[in-house]
Amino acid sequence: MNEIRAGVTDRGQGQAMSTATEGRHKVAMKPGRGAAWSLRVVRKVRWAALMASAASLIAGVGLWQWLTESHVHLVLDFSNIPTPVAVFEAFRAVVVTKTFWRDIYWSMYRILVAFGLAIVVGVSAGIAMGYSAILRLVIAPYVEMLRPIPAIAWVPMAILVWPTTEESIVSITFLGAVFPIALNTWEGVRRVPKELVKAARSLGANRMNVLFHVVVPYAIPSITVGMALGMGGAWFALLAGEMISGRFGIGYFTWESYQLIQYANIIVGMLTIGFLSSVSTGSIYYLKRKLVPWAE
Amino acid sequence: MQKVGNIDIRSLTLGFKNFGSTKAVVEDFSFKFEAGSFTSIIGSSGCGKSTLLNAIGGHYKPLAGHIFLDGCEVKEPNASLGIVFQQHTLFPWKTVTENVRFGPMQRGASKAKANAVAAKYIEMVGLAGYGDYYPKMLSGGMQHRAEIARALANAPAVLLMDEPFGALDAQMRASLQSSLLDIWKETHLTIIFVTHDVEEAMYLSERIVVMSRDRGRICEVFALDEPFPRNKDKLFASEGGRDLKEKCIGCLA
Repeated sequence: MNEIRAGVTDRGQGQAMSTATEGRHKVAMKPGRGAAWSLRVVRKVRWAALMASAASLIAGVGLWQWLTESHVHLVLDFSNIPTPVAVFEAFRAVVVTKTFWRDIYWSMYRILVAFGLAIVVGVSAGIAMGYSAILRLVIAPYVEMLRPIPAIAWVPMAILVWPTTEESIVSITFLGAVFPIALNTWEGVRRVPKELVKAARSLGANRMNVLFHVVVPYAIPSITVGMALGMGGAWFALLAGEMISGRFGIGYFTWESYQLIQYANIIVGMLTIGFLSSVSTGSIYYLKRKLVPWAE
Repeated sequence: MQKVGNIDIRSLTLGFKNFGSTKAVVEDFSFKFEAGSFTSIIGSSGCGKSTLLNAIGGHYKPLAGHIFLDGCEVKEPNASLGIVFQQHTLFPWKTVTENVRFGPMQRGASKAKANAVAAKYIEMVGLAGYGDYYPKMLSGGMQHRAEIARALANAPAVLLMDEPFGALDAQMRASLQSSLLDIWKETHLTIIFVTHDVEEAMYLSERIVVMSRDRGRICEVFALDEPFPRNKDKLFASEGGRDLKEKCIGCLA
């Protein structure tokens, strides 16, 4: 592990140094023998790291197969757990069905709608709280009061308030995402250096333009952190909503598999949820790299 | 001919109000900075020179007294009062060109026109070719150059500089000092330059104002009539130069 880290930092420093030299003197530097050598080492180390992780995974799956096959009952009960082979078979069976993809579609759709709303509301609220003392006094009490209530605790209320379960699930998902986004936006706006604002004002920017040219751009890295956290919260809340009151959706799929005693499908559902959730969080980080190249 | 850029400070008091009690940092300060002049303000740290400069730029509301720019009272930051801060204040999310054209665009210039202005000043500070770089890709000295270009691109009447070269190595500092003198010669703006470095003040300015730690009182004002460009070695070796330096340091102590 140490070796890997050393390899990676080495590369990072090399890049930083070469940009610095370019910046100062614009000297065209030929990659020397040292660079080629270190690249080879990095590749080797990476390969070894990959192998180690793969071996660990294979061992884990092997252990799972053995525990379930031999029906171990030692504190934990493995007798009802499907083997990895059975899970793979179930996956193969389910991946060709329309219902599986319909469930994925519904979950992603709910996430997109709820998360989109959460970005709009959370970012606006965060900017308002960070930029205007009066709006902070108006909005902050609600944020501070409602934030500690977990999204799942909203389920009964949501079912009562909204006409259909669809809307209640979306609203719960929204609540799971909106607070981290609002709080991180607020934090980002609050941390804008005074000097940057002063510089913009001295260059002739009014308060509105300071907001759009200085405050918001400065807060974007912080907002994306809030979005990544919010995405986790959104999935958490979505699954709770789908399991309790849903029709369709990957959470519903997982819960229904339990009720229909299709245990292998539970694990297929769980793995799908993990995959979808990490894809959506990863796409936020991808978006961040595209959106704010200057922050890297 | 040069008429814009007169700064007139009349019995200015700056400070902080804390639950009714006021703590004055600068008290009853009066001074005139003439259009097109280069004045340095020196003083030991904590004497209020930075506060004074920020107030001239419209960033502090005075407790009493007035600051006039060509007869108009300065009440808030103003594009005619360009500031270069001690810290880096380039917008990290904008490239050098985008930073430099920010001022002109805020004042309503078209993008094409602002780009042309930006290119001119980027060249003037010796950064031609770095327009598309983000600030973090530049060295500290280059960032300062870009910052000066950004302040100049707005065609301010007055350039306020708050220890702009304080954090630089000697070589970079010398090169920026001579660039600044060239720019001053070319643009003839009023420059007010805050520093704690006596030699820097002597090399650059026509007048040196020494502020005291005691509520920012003016200890002494020295005029330097040595013509530009100045030779540092000759300046500091000459009788008058040594004498002046000693006097300045004596005032600071």
